[in-house]
Amino acid sequence: MQRKLANVNAWTVSATVIMILLFLPNLTIVMGIFTPTNENWAHMKEFVLGSFIKTSLILVSTTATLTIIIGLSLAWLIAQYQFPLRGFLKWALILPLSIPPFIGAYTYHGIVNYTGVIQTTLRRLGIEVNHSFFDIMNLGGAIFIYTLFLYPYVYTITRIFLSQQSASLIESARMLGKGPWGTFFQVVIPISRVAIIGGASLVVLEVLNDYGVVKYYGIQTFTTAIFQTWFGLGDIESSIKLAASLMGFVILILMIEKLLRGRRQYSYSTTKVRPLPLISLKGWKARIATGYGLTILSLGFFIPIAQLVDWTILTFGTIPISQYLSYVSNSIMVAGLSATFIILFAVIVGNFSRLVYGKTAKLLPKLSILGYSIPGAVIAVAVVTAFIGLDRFLGPLYQFLGINTTLVLSVSLIMLISAYIIRFFAIGYNAIESGYDKIGTDFRDASRLLGVGLTKTFFKVDLPMLKGAIISGFILVFIDVLKEIPLTLILRPFNFDTLSTKAFQYASDEKIMEASQASLLIVAISALAIVIFYKFLEKEPN
Amino acid sequence: MKKAIYLVLAFVLLVLSACGNGTTTNTTSNNETTKSTETTETTETTETTDSKEINLYTARHYDVDDTLYAKFEEETGIKVNVIKGEADELLERIKREGDATEADLFLTADAGRLFRAKDEGLLQAVSSDLLDEQVPANFQDKDQMWYGLTKRARVIVYNKENVKPEDLSTYEALTEEEWKGRVLIRSGENVYNQSLLASFIEINGEEQAKEWAAGIVSNLARDPEGGDRDQAKAIAAGIGDVAIMNTYYLGQMLNSEDAEEVKVAEGLGVFFPNQETTGTHVNVSGAGVVKASKNKDNAIKLLEFLSAPESQTTFAEANYEYPVNDSVESTELLQSWGEFKEQNISLSALGDNNAKSILIFNEVGWK
Repeated sequence: MQRKLANVNAWTVSATVIMILLFLPNLTIVMGIFTPTNENWAHMKEFVLGSFIKTSLILVSTTATLTIIIGLSLAWLIAQYQFPLRGFLKWALILPLSIPPFIGAYTYHGIVNYTGVIQTTLRRLGIEVNHSFFDIMNLGGAIFIYTLFLYPYVYTITRIFLSQQSASLIESARMLGKGPWGTFFQVVIPISRVAIIGGASLVVLEVLNDYGVVKYYGIQTFTTAIFQTWFGLGDIESSIKLAASLMGFVILILMIEKLLRGRRQYSYSTTKVRPLPLISLKGWKARIATGYGLTILSLGFFIPIAQLVDWTILTFGTIPISQYLSYVSNSIMVAGLSATFIILFAVIVGNFSRLVYGKTAKLLPKLSILGYSIPGAVIAVAVVTAFIGLDRFLGPLYQFLGINTTLVLSVSLIMLISAYIIRFFAIGYNAIESGYDKIGTDFRDASRLLGVGLTKTFFKVDLPMLKGAIISGFILVFIDVLKEIPLTLILRPFNFDTLSTKAFQYASDEKIMEASQASLLIVAISALAIVIFYKFLEKEPN
Repeated sequence: MKKAIYLVLAFVLLVLSACGNGTTTNTTSNNETTKSTETTETTETTETTDSKEINLYTARHYDVDDTLYAKFEEETGIKVNVIKGEADELLERIKREGDATEADLFLTADAGRLFRAKDEGLLQAVSSDLLDEQVPANFQDKDQMWYGLTKRARVIVYNKENVKPEDLSTYEALTEEEWKGRVLIRSGENVYNQSLLASFIEINGEEQAKEWAAGIVSNLARDPEGGDRDQAKAIAAGIGDVAIMNTYYLGQMLNSEDAEEVKVAEGLGVFFPNQETTGTHVNVSGAGVVKASKNKDNAIKLLEFLSAPESQTTFAEANYEYPVNDSVESTELLQSWGEFKEQNISLSALGDNNAKSILIFNEVGWK
């Protein structure tokens, strides 16, 4: 009995510590709400905030709707039907996630602008075109970009849910004579609500915190306001206050999500997770299914990749290749380390939240998602502040060790990796939490009844069933860190370059062609990770 | 197995509890700690200057810069450590690092940001005869807190086919009726535009500057979008006839690997506005020695190196920027665009008026 109690404490204590740490830097931002307003704030409110907020709302709601439509329909096709190329599309449809949205934005603009391949070809053929038809740099264009490169969040989460969990419900619906549309609207959408909302909320947060795309396309969103007060007016207090309001908005979304989830009970009913038997599509129906999947994949992956390859060939040799070796290894190292820590923490916190009854334990981990809604540059300031404080605190220890400088941790990779952990914990946690949800607590209770300790139960019972979630969480975080820009730029130590900082460096100087090589490498590594992930998951059912 | 998890948990707890303490202390007693370290730090900094390193925070991302740092290392044996980032974010980092900062030199591509760094007390005055000789007085800070390294001119670029240079005269003239729907320029979020407007505030006063901005907005061919290169392309596409942009982007396009971009650039003419009046707007890339620098001498050496004739030529050749060093001949391409009269204002004004220009952009609806 004594030992069991100790176990509970270890889980609880470490989970609490992790959550506090993840939340602390955000506290700097939350406190921003209480700073008094000044004339800059008044100016922003009078002239720009209204229209910025409106633009943000349109951007976020339209993107969320479109990603749900595309993500859900693809997930449903793949989970329910057999058609040509299904096996390939199943994993390939995740690939657009490997392209950072800002690179996608530059690339698409490169394709459709005056010197781009489309207009150039048309001119050669002697066709006069209305240029404004090809203008992608507007609100519609930004929605297009975000939808194409972010829909995989909805697709991945929903597909895994549908193919692993819904078999019995959908089969019952089929048996009771529901047609495909009836099944889709009356069964699939209601039961996969959690997965859909989970994916879509990641999309929403990602759109809210992104600055690269909207800045280049000249669209003024709430994020623009944050940076305008900071960079333009030099008033970081007001900009943190704006970021804090954004956080408040996100808390609201989270609460709504919680309400929408309502009471749910979706855990496995048996130990055998049966895949859904596939219905074969024939003739034109099969062609439409394949065509639809390929169209989305081409728009979100093959077309931009073709353009990037073209640019890489054009600029090949202008940048010494030898340097890329260190960028690649740096990128993989930080992404791998951060993903490992995040998953480890998420597993601990997730297990804690499952073991403890009560609403607070369920809600607390959700708060750690807050950081995800805020532009990385603002988080970075909070992290720098925290680490400089930590370094000063550890000063006596450094002196004891014979280190003569004040800043040790904050000029090392530890600061950068901690920042990644704070920022992307939500992504890893979402995956792990849904994994725990699927397992439920029945197996654990059985194991405990048989007298097995909590920790042993975790390793023998829960962990094997959690494997899929762990890997999918790891891959998602890994790719996100590979693509990350603002934190890496601000928090990196001296002489530390990654593929994404390199791609950004060229793109920000309007040298998109030179940026193509680093971008392609990011995509290649992410794609490789996705393929490995897929191979692993495929083995799962056996 | 059980041991393993205890080990992991113990490790996690150890690392994290340390962090936890640190962050809480920080929020409560940050000010105290800053003060106490201040005194010890400053005594240290002035003495330790013979190290073989210099730490650079730079907002310039060009490959040519790396080439020059490598050359500096080779010549002096002083290792250049670099963090590249965005100007305001790097400034914030230096500010928060305070006296403990490892940064020695802050390099950025806008005089406004250099002014801000100085204004926040992050830079220190340095003097060197060589620097004074290589960097003309009007491209230095008056208190010698920063030195300009390259010059960029923000000019009017026009479609050679339907605009004659005689049609153009000043920035102000672009607000006249005949240019309605023909003017292209990027977003007001961009620092080059902020500095341009800041210079007008300095020369003509806030009222007229605001009128100018409003006039440009009503003559725009389209809502501002994209970067400077995109404005040039929009001329080629027939969306507008004139664009305000920096010259070096045109240089880059003329030397692009993409034949289509070269074609676009060849169809454009460069016009230096306000030659009869207040002069063409110029801005600088420049650098200042960080106040808490621990390698001040090395930082000065790097400044001297970057403003020396050889480096100045490299900047001009590789990046099509104008040298600040008078003794350096600019390149053939730059010469082909012609000599021009520059605005005669203190570059610090660009920073001084930066916030005002943002407010004006917002008020007149310059997106």
